[in-house]
Amino acid sequence: MRNAFLIARQEFIKYVTRRGFFISILMFPIWVVIVLLVPRWTSGAPQRAFTIIDRAGEYRAAILDSLSREDAERDLNALARYAAANVNLSRLERAKPRLSGLLENPTTPRAVTAFQGSGGREGALSAMRPFLKPTAKPFRAPAPRFVYLEPPPELLFSPSELFASAARNVLDSGRYFAVILIPQNFGKDSHATVQYYARDLSDSDLLDFATGALDNALHKNVLRRYAPQLVDSDALEETTAVETHNPTKANSQSSRDDSLTKIVPIALAVILFIVSVMNASVLLQGVVEEKSTRMIEVLLSCATPRQITSGKMVGVIAVALLTIIIWSLALFGLMALADARTVTLVFDALGSVATFDTLPLLLLYFFCGLLIYGSVFLAIGSMANSLADAQSLLGPSMLILMLPNLLISGIMRDPNGQLASLVSWVPFYTPFFMMLRIASHPPALQVWGTTALALATTAFLIWWTGRVFANHVLTTERPPSLGGLIRRGALAVRGRRV
Amino acid sequence: MTEPVLELHDVTKRFGDFTAVDRLSFTLTRGRILGFLGPNGAGKTTTLRMLLGILQPDSGTIAILGSSIADVRSRIGYLPEERGFYRRMRADAAIAYVATLKGMKRPAALTSARRLLKEFGLEAFARVRIEGLSKGMAQKVQLLAAVAHDPEFVILDEPFSGLDPVNQAELEIFIRKLAAAGKTILFSTHTMQHAERLCDGLVVLTNGRKLFDGTLDAARALFPRRARVGADADLSFLRQVPGVQQLTTPSADQPFWTLDMAEGVDGRAVLAACFERGVPLTHFDISPPTLHDIFVSLVEEAA
Repeated sequence: MRNAFLIARQEFIKYVTRRGFFISILMFPIWVVIVLLVPRWTSGAPQRAFTIIDRAGEYRAAILDSLSREDAERDLNALARYAAANVNLSRLERAKPRLSGLLENPTTPRAVTAFQGSGGREGALSAMRPFLKPTAKPFRAPAPRFVYLEPPPELLFSPSELFASAARNVLDSGRYFAVILIPQNFGKDSHATVQYYARDLSDSDLLDFATGALDNALHKNVLRRYAPQLVDSDALEETTAVETHNPTKANSQSSRDDSLTKIVPIALAVILFIVSVMNASVLLQGVVEEKSTRMIEVLLSCATPRQITSGKMVGVIAVALLTIIIWSLALFGLMALADARTVTLVFDALGSVATFDTLPLLLLYFFCGLLIYGSVFLAIGSMANSLADAQSLLGPSMLILMLPNLLISGIMRDPNGQLASLVSWVPFYTPFFMMLRIASHPPALQVWGTTALALATTAFLIWWTGRVFANHVLTTERPPSLGGLIRRGALAVRGRRV
Repeated sequence: MTEPVLELHDVTKRFGDFTAVDRLSFTLTRGRILGFLGPNGAGKTTTLRMLLGILQPDSGTIAILGSSIADVRSRIGYLPEERGFYRRMRADAAIAYVATLKGMKRPAALTSARRLLKEFGLEAFARVRIEGLSKGMAQKVQLLAAVAHDPEFVILDEPFSGLDPVNQAELEIFIRKLAAAGKTILFSTHTMQHAERLCDGLVVLTNGRKLFDGTLDAARALFPRRARVGADADLSFLRQVPGVQQLTTPSADQPFWTLDMAEGVDGRAVLAACFERGVPLTHFDISPPTLHDIFVSLVEEAA
């Protein structure tokens, strides 16, 4: 026991004093910052400039009207966020109840219409100005997603058969992202086809926007024909308001809560994978290094193979825990710097995932996962004589270990479905999948059955690794082939030296 | 002092169809230095690994300090044949680490490590990482790691290999000191001069089998004394001298006529025969067989 502890301590010190450890510790916050900042940097972009050739004569205006509403909606949303941080809302509510109401529900069509009717961005900013907090920052208007540009003459007067060529020349100029051609018969006699020219058809935002605007215009035309009194009616702006409820949770109406409740297990499982693979790889390298320097022989003269393997495992778990603690602190620190409310939300989500019932299981799955991956890597290390040898075994092993990552989205779509229930019983992957599923309340039989399976797998692999380590750590032969590997594993189980 | 420290009885170790050690038995008593000799692949390292519990014998028994290895691991020091340490560890910490694994408290282990480093003139390198030491220094550090916990029984696998003559002499003195302090030492070596100078007893192994187990004198008694005669004339007539068992003619390797003498026969009859024939001699010596000769003879006989 004492020797296992001493070896664990030495392993811990050896790993945490390596440059690689510091780099991995630093890389995570940098990675998080990039993940957080890139969407911000790219939030205003890309801005798509387009033009319309409306040969039907009445649809360009409809698209531009929708464009104006789209800009107004973005302005109103941005103003709502700005007001939450910079305006004394209670005073605003008393003095400007209408504006306050718009800012509270900025996403409804009715609010957008009212916003446009009351002077838009400038009108709202003027109305807010007396209620700004002393620390208020200036408002930064969001950049429009789409910008309409007048069509160049070569498009305006291009005959239909040459239009594609003319559109290509216009797009090649780089000034326009897309050209929309509305034919003369559009909206007549069931003709509802427009032509959309763009150099990148995979970016469909503008196309979706234009299609929506034209659909609205067509619907209004129908209305104009059959119920003209309704065309400009407020009734058309009615939308369904949905109040969401999750009866399994107290006071949970927000879909964001449920999203975070799903994201947190994914994050935990992915962290398990990253930390396991990172540290288990170091474990493998350590064993290969000890084999190549013959330090392993000194260790074996001082301690039993079981003490050495368990010491190494404990050392790696300690490194993994330290890594997670530092990463968590860095993550929460960065979140607090960026937006303090996010920290509360994540804590709430963690609280809903790691409850009194599930926390012990989450920890158990985490440690089992770490030990399973660690055992596999340690066994590989004890069978390899050099890093090159280890790599030949590591590649296929990594493919096998990475498999669960490919199933995350499928599992999370239906955490208690057939696929999730089935793969949870695959011994190597049980801890990973059950971490993903535990917050979704899988059936008790599955929870306890897979927990027992995870524990049994972990115990077996630790025992098996001890045997493989004892039998192979002093050999200097070439690493085995896949068939040889399986044969060795089987023989190790039976307790025989290969 | 006749208390056995190490007892092997009919120890056999196989790797698949290959028998690395075959029914090996010998005993080593307290305070003695035993040379464990054998050509490459004789089974020396396998035997040492079995003594340390790194490998388990397929049959036979091993008792160390009256117990099994598991009970006395901390009372044994071991220097492996191929040296290596954690490259980024500092010298004193590396020695102390092994000593703590052998049961010492860390402060005491560090004190012992620094004392030994000072004794070996490596005081200035105590805080230097292993990767910053010369090969010889690193080997010394590993040797010190084997003895820092003050073991009763020290196993040294090829301790002289890789050391320069000065360091070899220093190591010889150190081994003698250990023996003088009552430690029991077993070392394997290829360098017969060291074994000849240091060992109280010898075990010679080849192909996993024991060829000889006894003192150097007992080994010498097994082989004839050897006379070397130098002359410009043909000395083939010496083959007829009573007591001369074998005559070897000079060769490119050695310029003398070599005569294997029967037990109890000295060189006077040889000298007399030469004088009778009027052969002027340029060289004459007679000496017991060297350990090198004994070793080579034993191994060749076994082959």
